[in-house]
Amino acid sequence: MKKWFSIALGIVTATGGFLDAGTIATAGESGAKFGLGLIWAVIIATAAIILLVEMVGRFTAVSKKPYAAAIRENFGFRFFLAPLICEIIAESLMLAAELGGVAIALSLLTGISWHYLFPVAALLVFAMAWRAPFDWIENGPAILGLVTLSFIAGIIALGGLPHDTLPTLWRPPVKSGDLADYLYLVAATLGSTISPYLLYFYSSGAHEEGWSGSSLLLNRVTAFLGMGFGSMGSIAIIVLGAIVLRPLNISGSTLGEVGLPMAKAFGVIGTTLFAVALFATCFGAALEVVLGVSYLIAQGFGWEWSENKKPVEAARFNLTLILFLLVAVLIGLRGTDPLQLALLASTVIALELPVALFPFLVLMNDPQYLGDKINGRWTNIAIIVILLLACIVALISLPLEILSGGG
Amino acid sequence: MPEIREEVLKDDIFSIRDIIDSQLETSDGVRIGRVADIEIERHADGTLHLSALLVGPQALAARLSPELRTLAHWLFRDRFDHRITLDDVESFGPTLRLRRRAEDYPIGQSERWIAKYLLRWLPGSGY
Repeated sequence: MKKWFSIALGIVTATGGFLDAGTIATAGESGAKFGLGLIWAVIIATAAIILLVEMVGRFTAVSKKPYAAAIRENFGFRFFLAPLICEIIAESLMLAAELGGVAIALSLLTGISWHYLFPVAALLVFAMAWRAPFDWIENGPAILGLVTLSFIAGIIALGGLPHDTLPTLWRPPVKSGDLADYLYLVAATLGSTISPYLLYFYSSGAHEEGWSGSSLLLNRVTAFLGMGFGSMGSIAIIVLGAIVLRPLNISGSTLGEVGLPMAKAFGVIGTTLFAVALFATCFGAALEVVLGVSYLIAQGFGWEWSENKKPVEAARFNLTLILFLLVAVLIGLRGTDPLQLALLASTVIALELPVALFPFLVLMNDPQYLGDKINGRWTNIAIIVILLLACIVALISLPLEILSGGG
Repeated sequence: MPEIREEVLKDDIFSIRDIIDSQLETSDGVRIGRVADIEIERHADGTLHLSALLVGPQALAARLSPELRTLAHWLFRDRFDHRITLDDVESFGPTLRLRRRAEDYPIGQSERWIAKYLLRWLPGSGY
């Protein structure tokens, strides 16, 4: 009974944890600009994150080691610096975007300008990361995040997909001038869904909960169903954008615009639902980012770390967490729109994916850590192909996007 | 130390690669850091012996490049680098267990300093 409860909870967590500022930003803009033409990228990225989450859970359950600790021990300090530096750069942009998402959600609910609410958002995230035990962090925002399922109700209320939209699924409406934009969104979609911070977070969580070889079923079910359901939220936002925003030529380039379809479907209640979903997903993701990076640093340097300890008992870990939040606040205070920041962060993540995840694949094939639970050959090939695809698309589109002025 | 092979160690179950970067845990179960480098002694008979484990930013910088070693030395002046002699290690393995308690080692001192001078001022720090 307890086992099924924890499986159910795991699925809810993964479902709620799937969406974040990055996925909402990319999905909203994708639907508004290219109809259903980017759903393929969401599906590929979902397949990749399902495989990766299953792997990182299996790794920690079998080897009893969190992923970041294993990178340092197996590859040495010099190598460890590469994923470390990439992650700090990409995720500080992403954390600023998530905090911005929380601030905009609060602003939609209260009417106060999001610029003022930005420090409030950071303070909320800090309070939770500072004192809440691990299971609160994991489950609290996630359960609230199930509000994203109302996006699917929104599609039904709007009368479903118009007939002329469906062909954009396999024939993306990319005009000649839009190719750079399209590729940028492909890269951002891959980068926002395949989030390395999620792996550090998930692996540390599995360690905090004391997973063992008997947790492998729980792990597999959680990864497949949770991430699978989660991607429906992302696809729903694309469809909403395709139904409402694209015919009106609204580009979906601010979070307010992305929320318009829900307002059209349900009026004021729709706006509230969107704001709550935005708050829950960005708040949950901000926690996961700030903790994921702090876990990476603390485990890599061998410091004491745990969310279940008092802050002074893991002082360096908690100081890292505070400093990282401060960096994100400084980035956020420059006033860049969170949605544009999320797109940029997602593309930078896509670019660093091979560096961030190559050591992971090596570890997943090492019987010293995993015994007979190492990866199969096809899983390896599938992941390598997806990571390279993400990196190449990001490499092509990032300079084009910067040249064209961004967004 | 590229020329030192694992067979020079007295007990050949462990290689240098296994020791460097390993987690250091004290007898009261506190993770205080990772092995940054090792110290080797040449004995009169020409054999090489592992004599101590080094921990700290200078030892780490030295692993990256000679220039960084100089810079780190100028910056830290040996203040944060520490040696652990081999007698202090209770058991080897992926985690090196030390014989004494966390407060007996200067290695985790930054942890205590941060708790005492920074974190204690925040509510709920548990100090």
